[in-house]
Amino acid sequence: MPRTITMIDAITEAMAQEMERDDRVFVMGEDIGLSGGVFKATAGLYEKFGEERVLDTPLAEGNIIASAIGASMVGLRPIAEIQFADFITPAMESIVQQASKIRYRSAGGYGCSLTVRICCGGGTGGGLYHSQENAAWFVHEPGLKVVMPSTPYDAKGLLLAAIRDPNPVLYFEHKKLYRTAKGEVPDGDYTVPIGKAETRRRGRDMTVVTYGYMTTLCLEAAEKMSKEAGIEAEVIDLRTLAPLDREAVLESVRRTNKCLIVHEDKRTLGIGGEISAIIAEEAFDDLDGPIIRITGPDVPAIPFAPPLEHAWMVNTDKIVAGMQKLAAY
Amino acid sequence: MAAKNGRAVAELEEKASNGRKTENERELLLGLYRMLVKCRMCDEKARILFRQGKYAGNFYSGVGQEAAEVGAAYTLREDDWIAPSHRDWTANIIKGAPLNLCFAQLFGKATSPDRGKSTPAHMGYPPIHTITPASSIAGQLAVGTGVAFGLKKLGRDSVVVSFFGDGATSLGGFHEALNFAGVHKLPILYVCQNNLWAESVPLRLQTALKDLSDRAKAYGFPGISVDGNDVLAVYDAATRAIARARAGEGPTFIECKTYRWYGHSEIDPAKYRMKEEVEAWKKRDPLVLFEKTLRDKKLLSDESKTKVAQEITQEINEAVDFAEQSPYADPSELAEHIWAQE
Repeated sequence: MPRTITMIDAITEAMAQEMERDDRVFVMGEDIGLSGGVFKATAGLYEKFGEERVLDTPLAEGNIIASAIGASMVGLRPIAEIQFADFITPAMESIVQQASKIRYRSAGGYGCSLTVRICCGGGTGGGLYHSQENAAWFVHEPGLKVVMPSTPYDAKGLLLAAIRDPNPVLYFEHKKLYRTAKGEVPDGDYTVPIGKAETRRRGRDMTVVTYGYMTTLCLEAAEKMSKEAGIEAEVIDLRTLAPLDREAVLESVRRTNKCLIVHEDKRTLGIGGEISAIIAEEAFDDLDGPIIRITGPDVPAIPFAPPLEHAWMVNTDKIVAGMQKLAAY
Repeated sequence: MAAKNGRAVAELEEKASNGRKTENERELLLGLYRMLVKCRMCDEKARILFRQGKYAGNFYSGVGQEAAEVGAAYTLREDDWIAPSHRDWTANIIKGAPLNLCFAQLFGKATSPDRGKSTPAHMGYPPIHTITPASSIAGQLAVGTGVAFGLKKLGRDSVVVSFFGDGATSLGGFHEALNFAGVHKLPILYVCQNNLWAESVPLRLQTALKDLSDRAKAYGFPGISVDGNDVLAVYDAATRAIARARAGEGPTFIECKTYRWYGHSEIDPAKYRMKEEVEAWKKRDPLVLFEKTLRDKKLLSDESKTKVAQEITQEINEAVDFAEQSPYADPSELAEHIWAQE
């Protein structure tokens, strides 16, 4: 039965149901047990499953991931939580050198079925080190799957798919969506396929490619453009950043002949750069205008003071401005 | 009368039991010896093959450190794991990998466990639970700790032996892993082969500690330092640590004080070391030391020594032939093994 719930509740429900279904699944991370997580994503799990399966770890992100990798190598299905994407850097060795390469370097002899839940994103006053959205770092590493849901439905379905995936999956959760995104979610079991984008809005005039929290803003901007200028934007929510659903993007761009790419992360070498290159290589002849990117700036991180944070963040106005610019072609 | 007979029977039984003990000890000592020789000969052969240009890449010789390697891994069960580092190619041999595969690994051939993906010394073989190493120092140690974590969660009594050098003890990942292992009393042996040099950096610039085993105190489990060139000293320490780990009592840190005879790798002439230091350590050759023990016990003769060497030479020659004749992986395999086959 579908009910309307928040994204954070969808995430918690996915973990609880999968732990119920599969004894191999357990969660580990900082403050996830006794306290239920800083955002309460694991609320109630400790009480239900106990310390054996809901483990508060020492404050050491590198070892959270490394120990989860090792546990997966003997057949377990760990879900490791990184409290803030900003703190994932100590785990780069574990993720980039171990998780993404153990299968390759052993020619399939060893595998790594690991889910890493990572809370990310700005716009909540978190400042430099509680706001980063750095998923693109990992998209550069073949061997890792990277997903980021924008709706509660996808949050549950993608998380269940991630846990069951025999590959390492980095599951990014935008903290701004935790309690603002509400939607219908079936209470039963289902998965959302990894690697498949979803068209959130149909439109003939331009393709908007985005993901995560930005999907909400792009849909708002598209409605505004429709009402005010009669421009109909098609909005594609990537949902999975690696492997990218190239076909979904190309198919849409070939119809609309224009593409706007929107992401919160920094501009240079972001997802937008890669998607631009794919379109330039595969659909050059179909373009009627330049590929335009609306992204976070090339500034080290999101500063704390509200006007500075506001200046960083992509918002509906910035997206509308990009759409207007592209519509002029 | 009955009592007297009873005593006689008991005496006979004790005698038989002592006989078995002696036989077991004899078997163990000769087994250790054979493995030491095998590791030494394979390693020296690997060096020769590299110098002959038979394979590319590099090789990280463990000659001089065999007692640490063999002593720590010799008694492991089939279901136990080893997390080797770059200098532990021979750990695979001790754990039972066929020599054919070990030499195919050096040559990067498609018949090696990783089909030529990993570099020559970075060998792992899943059927015997040796983990294919990454080159990042201490990364392997952290993953090995995770395996111990998983084994404990599954309620198994298997153990993990993690091999690493003195340099690895300086990394953050080392601290994180040992701390975690201490908290959860994980079934793992941290076997540090302290060979006094981390590539070209001397121990005095690596740590202020005299004994690296002191590090274990910080993690709440025992640490001991042993003569890493004395295979029986390492064997005893490892046997006790393994029993401890299997019983759920947690990790042990074993520092094996030893020395690598050659450079960090085959392209390193190791001119940073004093000749006198190298010569002094070569005089404490773990093989020669153990040979003396065996000769004193009348377990080794010139004849049996030659026989062991001949048998291993033949095995090595066959393995080298196998490796040389094996094909490389087809270039179409470049993008294979990135993802699990679903």
